[in-house]
Parts: sequence; C-alpha cells; structure tokens
Amino acid sequence: MSRLQAEHLYKVFGRRPDQAVRKLQDGTQRDELRADGTTAAVIDASFTVEPGQIFVVMGLSGSGKSTLLRMLNGLLEPTAGRVLFDGQDLTALSARELRGVRSSKISMVFQHFALFPHRSVLENAGYGLEVQGVPRAEREQRAAEALQLTGLAGWEKSWPDELSGGMQQRVGLARALATDADLLLMDESFSALDPLIRRDMQDQLLELQKRLKKTIVFITHDLNEAMRLGDRIAVMRDGEIVQQGTAEDILVRPSDDYVASFIQDVDRSRVLTAGSIMEAPEEGRSDKDLLAEAPATVSAETPIAELFTPCSTSGVAVAVTDAGGGVIGVVPRTRLLAVLGEEPQVEDVLPAQGEAEAVKASA
Amino acid sequence: MPRFSFGAWVENAVDWLQSNLSWIFDAIKTVLGGMYDGVDAVLGGGEPLLMAAIFAVLAFWLRGVVPAVLTFVGFALIDSLALWDEAMATLSLVVVAAVITIVIAVPTGVWAARNSKVSATLRPVLDVMQTMPAFVYLIPGVMFFGVGVTPGVIATIVFAMPPGVRMTELGIRQVDGELVEAAEAFGTTPKDTLTRVQLPLALPTIMAGINQVIMLALSMVVIGGMAGAGGLGEKVYAAITQLQVGLAAESGIAVVILAMYLDRMTGALNERVSPLGRRAAAKAAASARRMKFAHYKPGTAVAMIGVVVLALVAGGLNMAGSGGSGAKSNQAGGGNVGKGQKINLGYIPWDEGIASTFLWKEILEQRGYEAGVTQLDAGPLYSGVARGDIDFQTDSWLPTTHKDYWDKYSDQLDDLGSWYGPTSLELTVPSYVKGIDSLADLKGQGKKFNGKIIGIESSAGMMGTLNDKVLKAYGLEGEYKVVSSSTSSMLAELNASIKKKEPVVVTLWSPHWAYGKHDLKKLEDPKVAWGEGEQIHTVAKKDFAEDFPELTGWLKDFKLSEAQLASLEVEIQKGGAGKEKESARHWMDANPDVVDEMAPVGG
Repeated sequence: MSRLQAEHLYKVFGRRPDQAVRKLQDGTQRDELRADGTTAAVIDASFTVEPGQIFVVMGLSGSGKSTLLRMLNGLLEPTAGRVLFDGQDLTALSARELRGVRSSKISMVFQHFALFPHRSVLENAGYGLEVQGVPRAEREQRAAEALQLTGLAGWEKSWPDELSGGMQQRVGLARALATDADLLLMDESFSALDPLIRRDMQDQLLELQKRLKKTIVFITHDLNEAMRLGDRIAVMRDGEIVQQGTAEDILVRPSDDYVASFIQDVDRSRVLTAGSIMEAPEEGRSDKDLLAEAPATVSAETPIAELFTPCSTSGVAVAVTDAGGGVIGVVPRTRLLAVLGEEPQVEDVLPAQGEAEAVKASA
Repeated sequence: MPRFSFGAWVENAVDWLQSNLSWIFDAIKTVLGGMYDGVDAVLGGGEPLLMAAIFAVLAFWLRGVVPAVLTFVGFALIDSLALWDEAMATLSLVVVAAVITIVIAVPTGVWAARNSKVSATLRPVLDVMQTMPAFVYLIPGVMFFGVGVTPGVIATIVFAMPPGVRMTELGIRQVDGELVEAAEAFGTTPKDTLTRVQLPLALPTIMAGINQVIMLALSMVVIGGMAGAGGLGEKVYAAITQLQVGLAAESGIAVVILAMYLDRMTGALNERVSPLGRRAAAKAAASARRMKFAHYKPGTAVAMIGVVVLALVAGGLNMAGSGGSGAKSNQAGGGNVGKGQKINLGYIPWDEGIASTFLWKEILEQRGYEAGVTQLDAGPLYSGVARGDIDFQTDSWLPTTHKDYWDKYSDQLDDLGSWYGPTSLELTVPSYVKGIDSLADLKGQGKKFNGKIIGIESSAGMMGTLNDKVLKAYGLEGEYKVVSSSTSSMLAELNASIKKKEPVVVTLWSPHWAYGKHDLKKLEDPKVAWGEGEQIHTVAKKDFAEDFPELTGWLKDFKLSEAQLASLEVEIQKGGAGKEKESARHWMDANPDVVDEMAPVGG
C-alpha cells in the first residue's frame, strides 16, 4: 500500500471556495477566478508516495507547493479532495484526532527552522515528545539520540541562537525525527542555508534516509536540489502539478515549455546517466568486440560527467553494460557532445526506456 | 444643523445608574476600598527606613548593588521630605490600580490577539479610554463611588488599561508565525500553543506593557488627588492651587522617585520572569568582566529571605510601638461632647476654606470628636456631601459662585447658614496702574492690557458672570478677551506682571490673601454688574442635624469677622503646608474666647 496518497486536492482562498472548485473542475481558468477576489492556490493535485521514497515537489514561489504540503498534515484543510495516510482519510478526522496524527506520525521541518528560542537545543528536539506526554527521562533520552543522529551530540545544553544556520536546521531535523514519525514533511528546509552547507545537509539527509527509510515529502524551488534528492519529482506551476516523474524523465522529456525553461540551467552532466543517452550498438558487432575497443565500460546509472575523460582520449564509443556484463548500448563522443549542447525540447525524441513509459502512462 | 444632544443622554444615563444600580457601585467601592486599605496598611505600616530597606533589597535582587543603594537613598529622601505617608498612600493606589488593570488587560489582550473581531471592537474603546480627559469620568466616578480612593482607582484603571491590552495583543501577534505553525504541526493544542509558545515569547512585550500601565497609573495620582484619593497627588494639587512652588516641587520629586523606582524595577522584572529575559541577562553578566561585584544579584531565595526578615522586624517594631503609645489624647480639658464620634470635613483648597476647616477640625477634636479632613475639587466636594461621604464643608459661595452645584444638589444638602460675608467679586489691577479705578475706566484702554483679562477656571461661576454681564454692562466685549486658565496660573501671571511693573487686569475676589501680599486696587463697579456680594455658607449632608444635633447648633452660630479670618489666614500661611492644624491651634491660643464662643459646652 502507498504510504501517502493525495486525491484531487484543491485549496481555494477567498469567498465561496466550493463554488470556485466547481468552476475549476468545469475548466475555468485560475486567472478568471482571481478577478473575483478568490485565489486558487492548489488545483486538482493528485500523487502517490511509496514508503521509503523521497517525493520532491518543485516550483517557484507562489506555485502552491507550500499550501499543498500543509494540506498533507491538515494544517490547512483542503477545499476539496482527500489525503490518505496509510489508508486513513486525514480530511475526515476531527481536530483532536488530527492533532494525534501530527504529534506521532507526521512531523515537519521548516524553512526558517522554527526553533523555539526560549528552549534549549535538547528541549527543542524533545518538543514533539513533550506534546505526546512522554515522561521527561525517556523524552530527553530520545531527543538526545535524535540529536546524535543529526550530528549534534554535545550541543544539548546550547541555545538555538548560539548555533549556525546549518546546525539549527539539524535541530529542526532532530525534532522531526525524535517522534519516530513515518512521514517527514520538509518545507524548503535547506533553502535558507548557504550553498556549501545546503549540500552538506542534502548529503546528510540522503545518508540518514539510507538508514531510517522514512517517507519524505520535500518542497523546494531549487531544481538541482530536487534532482539530487528526489526519487520522484512533481513540478508545480500556478497551483497545478504540470509533470511528475523521475529526475531524468523531467530532464529528458519535459512535458511543456515551462518545465523545459525551468530545467535549462541544470547541470545535465550530473543528472543524466549513460543509460539515458546511449545509442544502440552498430548492427552485427559482438559484445566482445565492442568491449575490447571501448576506452571504458560503465553501467547505465553512471552520470555522464564520468564519460568525459574516456571520450576525450578515444574516438571510440564507451560501452554501457548491464549487471551481467552484456552490452546494452554505447555512447560515442558525438552523442555525448550533442546531449550537452542541446536545449531540452518538449517531448524530446529519444528512445524511451521502460520506466519512462510507465510514468507517461500514469501521468 | 440640529443640536445632537449626546450630553443629555449621558446625563440621564448617569442619573439612572446612580439611582438604580447603586448596590453594584457600593460593592465595587467596598472591594476596591478594602484592597487599598490592605495594601496601604502593609506599605504604610512599617518604619519608613525599614520599608526603604525592603525596597532596596528588591532593587538588589532585580538590578544589583548600585540601584539598591540609590533606592535606599531615594526613599530616605522621601521620608526626610516628610512625605512618607503620602508616598506610601500613592504607591498603594498605584499597586491596587495596576494589579486590577493587569488582571483585566492581559487576558483581554490575549483574546484580541486570537480574534480579529474582538480586536477591531476593542480598538475604538481603548482609544476612548486613553484619550478621554480624565475629569470627564472622574466626576461621574465621584457620583457613583463617592469621594475617596475608589474614583481615583477607577479613573487610573481606565487610563492605564489601553497599553496593557495593546502591548499584550501586539506581543502575541508578533510571535513568529512559523513558530506557531511548528507548534501546531507537532499536534499542540491551541491552549498549549498559547501557554508554551506564544505567552513565553510575548512576555518581554507584555512586560513592557505592564511597565507602561504602572507609569500611567502613577501619572494619574495628581488627578486622583482632586477627587480625594489622597497621597502625593493631593499634596501636589494643594500646592499648585496655593501657588506654593516649593512644596509642589517636593511632592513632585517624591512622585519622580516613585516613578523611577517602579519603572526600573518593572523593567528589570522581565529578566526574572521571562526565559528570553533570563537568557539575555545571563549573557550580559558573562560579558561583563570588569566591576563584577557591581553586577552581582542575589538569587530569588536570598532576596526573599531578606525581605521577610526586614518585614518581620518592621512588623515587630510596629507592635512594640503601638503598645507604647496606646492612650494618646487630643482633648484639651473641655467637655467631651463628641464622645469619639467620627466626622468628615471636606474642603476646596481655597484659603478661607483651609482656614475655617482646620479651625473646626481643631475645635472638634478638642470637643472629643474624631475629625477627618479631605481636600477636594468643588465638583467632587458637593457630590461627596450630597452622598453623605462628607458630613459638612464650610466653603459654599452662594448664591453666585457655586450656583450650579447648589442647583444640582440642593435637595440633598442642608444649608447651615453663612459664617462670613459679604464677599465680593471684582476685576483687580495693581495699584501702579494709574488712571484706572473703575470698570468704566477700562474702556478704550484695551491696548494697555493687550486686550486680555486674566481669568480663572472657566468652570467658576464668576467667569460666567464676567462674560455674560460685566463686560456687556461696561461695553467691554470685543475689546477684551477673557483668558480662562486656573486660579494658580492667574496668580502666577499677576505675580510676574507685578515684578515687571507691567499693567495687568485679573479676576479676583475678597477675601483673598493676594490683597495682603500685593498692593492691589479693586475696580469699582458703579453699575453693580457683579451683583451683590456673596455669603460663605456652611453646608452639610441632608440628615446632619439628626446625627450631630449639638454640632449643628454650633455651626449655625459660626461667624468670623474679616479681621478674624484675615489673622487666621495669615497664621496658616506662616505655618506653611502640612502644619495647618498646628497653625489653627496657635491662632486659637491667641484668641482663647473664640473657641468657647464657637463651641459652647452645654450646662
């Protein structure tokens, strides 16, 4: 079963929101509603997050991504649609039940850390447990463990304002982890940090994720961050999800001009893999010949950044092999340069891979 | 444009409230009066220097060594100015008013912060409370609650409330929205969000509001003094009315010392009560390398012990003291007619009022009554007598000056007849202003006086007479403008003009000490535009004759000649403020037969 499922979520601010939702369902444009003073923040958002997955929602400010995130834990009530968490409909819960879910099963990490300045680091990390009513001794122990997990052991007695931004956000992360919630909602959690520290935090999140296998919904406006972290990425624009898929799907096959212009500045060499750009080997040549000639042999998951050196020393194509050592394709120098040079085109014509097909079918 | 008679509605509403809901007002009065008496008994009960030490320990706890020393010096100064009892009365009033204000303001502010409609509704109400001149509700307050502490406390609460509410609301609203959201995201209930996140973070702002509440409360004590609230306010008010600049300055300094103490202490309280404040204080202490001992502050427990020990010593001394001076008597041999009956006199701080009131106080005490005196403004005085809070007063100028009050309250008052008269109202110029001897001479001389006649309070009856009758009778309207100010400002202006030998024309009346102090010339009134002279009456509460039959007789027969009154006033002026009773006794010693004449002991 999916951990989290959003079904046709709408959020409309302003007068007569229900009526506005009906109009939107009938095909009225968002701009027409705005003229009446109603703002449609999220329009018909549906997606599924599997256990252990990092699902990134990406979009510019005002695209509705933060609103969408707040509907997932009930901080905002959807105007229409349902949120299913482990099969339980959150939108049907009473305020009290919803608070129960928030305190134990869904936790949140904020953009500006949202640490309580009047509490020590340890007290901050243990806040969720305090709300649950966990006794002091156990609470402090679990909070200390969470702090250790995020690399803050020894800082328990400090105060939030004595910590650097990155460390503060580690406290925020520890606070979210301490409750042992299954679902982590991260709202632009690394956006306020310096680029180097941001990268550190991303690495650490991925590291933690390997061990903890949480389900994470991560909001960002930074495409590189989305590509690095996301198992799956949803791109939002003007309240609607315009494309969902893996990082490569989005990079290689942007669904429209908007997404295409968005991904222009991405370092393609770090996202694209050998598997996604390889060509079929020439007819009639055996694997053995190909492997013997090739300056290097790589797997399908290798980022193309690693192909530059072999390609620069040899005119012969690099071979791409599967787990069993069989050649599944080649990347010649011309192809590599062409991929780097080309502007992403909507529905770029490339040999579709198996997974991409599946995504397109579901989208 | 039709006249919108808002004022008439208010008057009707006040009348209705007065006659129908008096039990509520009595209940409020009992509660507030009780609180005030309790606090005053504690603060005013101890030996002044011990109390000063207790205040100093509090300052030590909150701020450190230097402020503690300054506190002790400041309070000792108040004591040496002989204003200790007044200062403690004022402090008690501020404490009671501030506590009630805070108890109401903080929850209201929280409510307003959480509900925009409440906030929008409260805003104009707070504006009214903050800007409506205090006198406007002080007088109805006296009507409802009688003279004394209660209307002063109520007026103070009304005036001091707005910053308490506003700062609480502001403090809670300015707590970072992300923090509130974080609390909600972890499943905190709204109530816990308030107590665990919003209130602790808003506390510095709320404390700033409380500081403002206390300072505003203190700034109201002078106005409260006009309604009989006592304390330093009464002293200041009396001093400015009688143009005693020195005494006013002394009382003013005592107010300032109290204000600075309260301001610094409530400001520092934040460091003790709010977690953020404690953090900031700890940081500051850590960064202060030099003069470390100057920053030392005792822990709460140590300070508590200090206060308790001093309080016990103070209490012990008190017990011993009251045991020693048990049987103290004022009676000077004469018949004990009063048998300890309590009687309240009220007076307007006009010279003849002070003179006659303290004369009677001294006589009554010699006759075995227990006489209390309260200084009041004319409005509160009449309403106080009408309510029965004041038993009698000796300074009713009838039929003109106090006509409005008399018309309003005459059916609740008993006139015990006049003891001095006739008085006169007049325009007066210094004698060096040549060629102007009569009101008629003023015509055409407007330039000389800059077209101004220096008046007194616009509420005074003589100001109405001057504008409506006198100026018209002599054709002076247009040429002269009557400047309404206050009696003390008028006298100050007169004083200043005389010093510079400049021409000036002022409103004045006889008897008045100014005629003794300066060489002045009353302008003749051949057309009798000012009317006949007035009589100064003794006015008592309605059933006074039944409660005090003997005294009623004395008061009805009470008469003073111009010479007697003048000598009494001079004696009191000589004695200075705070010694009125002693001065009256001196005068009685010099005129021994007057007392037996005024208060003959039967049989």
